[in-house]
Amino acid sequence: MSTKALIIGGSAGSFQIVIRILELFRPDLPIPVFLCLHRLKQVRKGFEETLNYNASLPVREPMDKEYIRPGKIYLAPSNYHMLIEKDLTIALSTEATVHHSRPSLDVFFSSAADVYGPGLLALLLSGANQDGTEGIAEVKRNGGTVVIQDPDDCEISTMCESAIKLTKPDQILTVSKIIEFVSLL
Amino acid sequence: MDIENQDIQAFIETVKSQSDYDFSDYSDKSLKRRLSKILLDRKLSLEVLLENIRADDDLLEKIVKDITVNTTELFRDPAVWHSLRFDILPRFQQQSNIKIWHPGCSTGQEVFSMMILLNELGLLQKTHLYASDLNEDVMEVAKQGIYKYRFNEGYLDNFDSVIRENPRVNDSYFDVPYSKYFHVDKTRDNLRMNKQMLTKPVYVKHDLVRDPNPFGEVFDLIICRNVIIYFNYELQNKVFKLFMDNMSPGSCLVLGVHESILGPFASRFDKKFQAYFKK
Repeated sequence: MSTKALIIGGSAGSFQIVIRILELFRPDLPIPVFLCLHRLKQVRKGFEETLNYNASLPVREPMDKEYIRPGKIYLAPSNYHMLIEKDLTIALSTEATVHHSRPSLDVFFSSAADVYGPGLLALLLSGANQDGTEGIAEVKRNGGTVVIQDPDDCEISTMCESAIKLTKPDQILTVSKIIEFVSLL
Repeated sequence: MDIENQDIQAFIETVKSQSDYDFSDYSDKSLKRRLSKILLDRKLSLEVLLENIRADDDLLEKIVKDITVNTTELFRDPAVWHSLRFDILPRFQQQSNIKIWHPGCSTGQEVFSMMILLNELGLLQKTHLYASDLNEDVMEVAKQGIYKYRFNEGYLDNFDSVIRENPRVNDSYFDVPYSKYFHVDKTRDNLRMNKQMLTKPVYVKHDLVRDPNPFGEVFDLIICRNVIIYFNYELQNKVFKLFMDNMSPGSCLVLGVHESILGPFASRFDKKFQAYFKK
């Protein structure tokens, strides 16, 4: 099954890795990429700008109902949950936080798993809470591929450890291997 | 709990046949999520839930309420409130009165934000504030004006940003005390709006999906943020028409930061600042 979408989730300790990943995408990237990252309320401003600084493709917070297109990088907007509808549009929601998080990785990953099924590639990075565990399980349940950052290599290992406890990922990789992996996409 | 698309359909049909509520044009994913959560919380299968709904109107009301709860904050997205403060509300200064509608007001934080801002601009006295929601329980919270404090500490930062600071003039600071509008009680963990603000807005139960304008007024400003994200494209257009038909010339509509007017009504508005102005 060829990859139809890449989703990346992370929290504390993931920011620098995401920055490096964003430098890797070629302009003819054939799939959409989604970033679902926790951010501190204080750094709501300037987050998108910082991610864009060295990114090879523009990173943008989508509007509700926007059509998903290949080669685009979508960043879950701050203070919203992001979901994907069957008709390949983005849906946003302000329903309650999940694991004290909005956007929540569980919410987003589950909805992407439902739409892309075996075509989904999910990447879980460093983080300090258990958001993402249920979402990663959903990706697997729907036949998707799961790559998790090696907890020993994480700045904060809670998020990846928790996900690995529930789901056997396809690969557990260090940052340098993750970079290699993504550059081969 | 995993819910399939045919389950959602069965739920929509059951609710529709037992009541006036119609979720056919809601965003699939949000509806699915909320229904899953309801089943999980109540430890019910969908079949049992639907059976119970058919037998019990009160339960149906409760489920509808669970599905239609939206969260809202005091001065969410300060940039929007800055725009209201400096670009939008001053346009109504010369009018003898200002009419504002908050459809889908939920627990009322936006209504209070608006009242505070209007008061700082000296416009509150001549403003008529109307608020509505499908869900009477959340409107009851709005009428009481009492919120959890601990989860909402960001409220004070937002207040500072919108009311005390002026991002357009360096180093300006308005020393407005919180106690002018609300009191924080840390032991009880609540933030309580001052009494004089509770009687100003008119709250009415209203279903955006099917009801006409409940107030019989034409509005200068409609502020409806993060409500239409739960509606599909067709229903959004229906709502835009309802808004447009009840807006005065030069009036404006404020949507959520990530919401936009798509489709046939886009050409009927000018997007300026953080708002849609009726042409």
